[in-house]
Amino acid sequence: MNALVWLAIPLIPLLLAVLIGLRPHRTRFNRWVPWAALPGLAGAAFGGDVEPAALDGLMLNTLLGLDPLGQAFLALTSGLWLAAGLFALSDRQDDPLRHRFYVFWLLALSGNLGLILAQDALSFYLFFSLMSLAAYGLVVHSNTGEAWRAGHIYLILAVVGEILLFAGFVMAIHQTGGDTRLTAIAEARPEGWGLALLVLGFGIKAGMLPLHFWLPLAHPAAPVAASAVLSGAMIKAGVLGWLRVLPLDETGHVLLGETLVLLGLAAAFLAALAGVLQSRPKTILAYSSISQMGLITAGVGLALVLPDLRPWLLMAVTLYAVHHGFAKGALFLAAGMTAQRPAGGAGRLAFFLFAALPALALAGMPMTSGALAKNTLKDPLYGADLAGWMAYTEFALTLAAAGTTLLMLRFLWCWHQAQQDIQAPPRADSRRWWAWGGLAGMSLVFPLLGIAVAPPEQVPAWVVLTGLSLVWPIGLGLVLGLLAWRWLPDRNRPWLQEGDLVVPLEWLAHASQRLWHSRPALIGIGRHPARLRWVRYRLRERLELAERVLTRWETIGLLFAAAMLGLYLTLWAG
Amino acid sequence: MSDGGWLLLAILLSSLGPGLAIFFLPERRYGLRTLLNLGGAGTKLVLVGWLLLSVLRGDEYQLSIPLLPGIDFVLAADALSLLFATLSAVLWFVTTVYAIGYLEGSPRRSRFFGFFSLCVSATVGIALSGNLITLLIFYELLTLATWPLVVHRGTPAALRAGRLYLGYTLTSGLVLFTAIVWLTLLAGAEPFVPGGYLGELATTHETTLKVLFVMLMIGFGVKAALVPLHSWLPIAMVAPAPVSALLHAVAVVKAGAFGIVRVVNDVYGAEVAMELGLAAGLVVIAAITILYGSIQALRTDDLKQRLAFSTVSQVSYIVLGVALAGPLGVIGGLVHLVHQGITKITLFFCAGNFAETLGIHKISELDGVGRRMPLTMLAFTLGALGMIGLPPLAGFVTKWHLGLGALEAQFHWVLVVLIASSLLNAAYFLPPVIRGWLGERRTPWHEHLVEHSGPTRFETHWMLLVPTLFVAALSLLGGLLAGMSLSPLDWVTLIVERDYSIPGFAP
Repeated sequence: MNALVWLAIPLIPLLLAVLIGLRPHRTRFNRWVPWAALPGLAGAAFGGDVEPAALDGLMLNTLLGLDPLGQAFLALTSGLWLAAGLFALSDRQDDPLRHRFYVFWLLALSGNLGLILAQDALSFYLFFSLMSLAAYGLVVHSNTGEAWRAGHIYLILAVVGEILLFAGFVMAIHQTGGDTRLTAIAEARPEGWGLALLVLGFGIKAGMLPLHFWLPLAHPAAPVAASAVLSGAMIKAGVLGWLRVLPLDETGHVLLGETLVLLGLAAAFLAALAGVLQSRPKTILAYSSISQMGLITAGVGLALVLPDLRPWLLMAVTLYAVHHGFAKGALFLAAGMTAQRPAGGAGRLAFFLFAALPALALAGMPMTSGALAKNTLKDPLYGADLAGWMAYTEFALTLAAAGTTLLMLRFLWCWHQAQQDIQAPPRADSRRWWAWGGLAGMSLVFPLLGIAVAPPEQVPAWVVLTGLSLVWPIGLGLVLGLLAWRWLPDRNRPWLQEGDLVVPLEWLAHASQRLWHSRPALIGIGRHPARLRWVRYRLRERLELAERVLTRWETIGLLFAAAMLGLYLTLWAG
Repeated sequence: MSDGGWLLLAILLSSLGPGLAIFFLPERRYGLRTLLNLGGAGTKLVLVGWLLLSVLRGDEYQLSIPLLPGIDFVLAADALSLLFATLSAVLWFVTTVYAIGYLEGSPRRSRFFGFFSLCVSATVGIALSGNLITLLIFYELLTLATWPLVVHRGTPAALRAGRLYLGYTLTSGLVLFTAIVWLTLLAGAEPFVPGGYLGELATTHETTLKVLFVMLMIGFGVKAALVPLHSWLPIAMVAPAPVSALLHAVAVVKAGAFGIVRVVNDVYGAEVAMELGLAAGLVVIAAITILYGSIQALRTDDLKQRLAFSTVSQVSYIVLGVALAGPLGVIGGLVHLVHQGITKITLFFCAGNFAETLGIHKISELDGVGRRMPLTMLAFTLGALGMIGLPPLAGFVTKWHLGLGALEAQFHWVLVVLIASSLLNAAYFLPPVIRGWLGERRTPWHEHLVEHSGPTRFETHWMLLVPTLFVAALSLLGGLLAGMSLSPLDWVTLIVERDYSIPGFAP
């Protein structure tokens, strides 16, 4: 019975994908697309007490279930996919290839929901691959040159990620002695190469530095709704993977932890810097995702360095992931609403509010979800004994909010620029408005909900959602933004190519290709070309002649007969 | 004749009989020929199913006829033979249906189906052979029965491929013959024994055994397409699609791989093979073949040729697994005998469907084919992803066990080879899939099949479509239901538990 409950959550989107794929012209199936995420939401709400189910016949000992960590991720994932699905339904209604978009959408959804429920390595890997590969279809959907390039880079990194994960899991499970449960892997504490492979494999998905460069290419290329789930839900799968398999126990892992903190903080600042140099709203949001994922990565690293504070830090990381997922989803939908700007009145106010609210939440404005997430993450660090550069972690985490503020200012400004010459539509598109408003509202509802469900001990609730350390970075960001706006000569121009590292990498790939093609000239064949070609030609001629002679019937027969005779003679003599 | 040996004989005759009868049928007796074909294939399926259940219960089947003084012709059924025999019986049935649809209206079908049946009889004979001499007889029979199928079209390219095929296989057959005669003189015509029967000789005749092993590997390695003995295989893909499918998935390459499995496990035994350092050598050869095949596949635009080079690479997974000589490695290798078969036959059927329906032969022509032939493209996708080794497809189960087996046997670098091979597989199998689903076709399709035989109800002739979908479903279920009893993985685990004396295996 439990098995059916858990299987239904990823299977319902899968079945709908099959239905739409088989009957692409039956448009009435399309209406169900957003609701395919609903069972996931129901599972997150009511599934906390349902026992895990072992399906021994399926793959190799499949185990599906839901733990508190999974519950939070499932709520985020299904809620976001539901809202973005509603948005996509309106956004795609005039798209002649929408059924194709929906099939990839549902496949990716199925993978994303399934990987949260998976409690064993193989089914986790299965759903993870399904999600990664199906998302390729979403990235290239718009069929432009830009989308194909982004898809190409995305696919290469996704496949490399898959294979790193495969090798990592094989090594980890070799260490557990064949036990494929994810908890068993974490308990066996993967070491050396196995650990590195798992960190990197999930790191590609989570946009970890320096494997982040697919994000700024894929997000602007994909349709808005797809970017929202990609940035809000799918990259979180990498974090979930880390939380599931890394040795997050009483011993911790200082080396890995410090590396993750360093990489995370570097991503937080560098991505903010790279982001403000962009001019397309969705690219800016992509960089903001890298930056925010950097903070989450740093949180995971801290939990490895400070094993005593691990329960609190893991809760903070989860809160942060949920907060970022909803806020970033709302911002991406905002980027797709530019054509829907109402002419004036209350609609106009809501229009700006729905964009500004999640942006402020990301910057960590008091009383928003960002305040809750940032305070929870930094709170345990005040009393912690961290040596060396690690002692500045708390300060760095706080300062990062200034970068986020700048990034959000840049986004809002570019977003506003993009609406200048667009006529308001005759009628508001209610589905899009509901999806967008719902996600944006989560920035306010989520912290209240969180405090209502788990009231903080000792401190009053309003303290958790406020604090000076939240306000001064925002102020700093505003001042910096104002200065830049005042002094920057050309504000509409991007100052850095999208995908930063991709540019030298692509150049390198082309250069090595050119080198490969011009290799005869390099290794000296060019010096005696005529003579060498002649030798090669003669050699080939000889070989072909030999093959012709050898494969002639008489030769084969003669040799065969001679050999038989020889063998017979040996037998006779022996 | 011992108890129950008649069943083994009946299995052999169920394809041999109809095959011989078909030779004498006139070309126009379409109905009778189809009846004989399907009747034979169906009978064999039922008989093999019966045998499978009996062997699962633990019954023993053996049939022994004196051939020469001291040398017997032995048919026997152990769990390993059943693995190969079941694969052949199931895929033969499917391929027969496909071939009837594929060759509809083409000339010389009696000849084709006659040799087709002979070919399968020889394959099943190899599966049921109880000693090396019997194996050799069927092995050579297979060589001869396959040649007319390769040259069936009679074009210069086909004749050249046939000549090359025969040149390679006869020469290797000769080497094999020499080796087996030598081995028989040395150790007698012993039946196959799990763990091998050369135990005592390993100390006294070390060099001889090494030389013999190399000769045996050359003999079987040509059919298993081990580099550098593989050149015939990509050229032989000029044969009609059902033949290529059978050649690549069941009959020829598998016969070679199966021979290697028998030699390593039942003649030398894993222990002796490891002691003499032969297994390690085989691992290296297999690894080279895996990478070389994939690199070559990447370089070609012809769909069938790409599939052929992929076979070169994938069949070596079997050899690799067996040579790793640990329980998990052997499970991975043996299960790939089945998994590679069902996956590759899916791909070849799809290639045949594309070629027959729309005249597509190149990967660059696949753009947008997913909209015209969605079901075939779906089957192709399943096959391609299975070859890359993505879950939940059959190929993943193989790769998983090979990876674990490599670590278990302390061959850490083999994991790197598996990673590289997966990357290469993705690099040459994803582009056709992406083209098919996401590419765009601007000109109308060249409706090859509709022009010749009128409109079809489905996207192509049903006799081409149904077998394709069936094997695609098998390649999905082989991985998805790997944990069920009687799945290929379950059966292979049974083989390893029951038959193999692998050092350090405690089930």
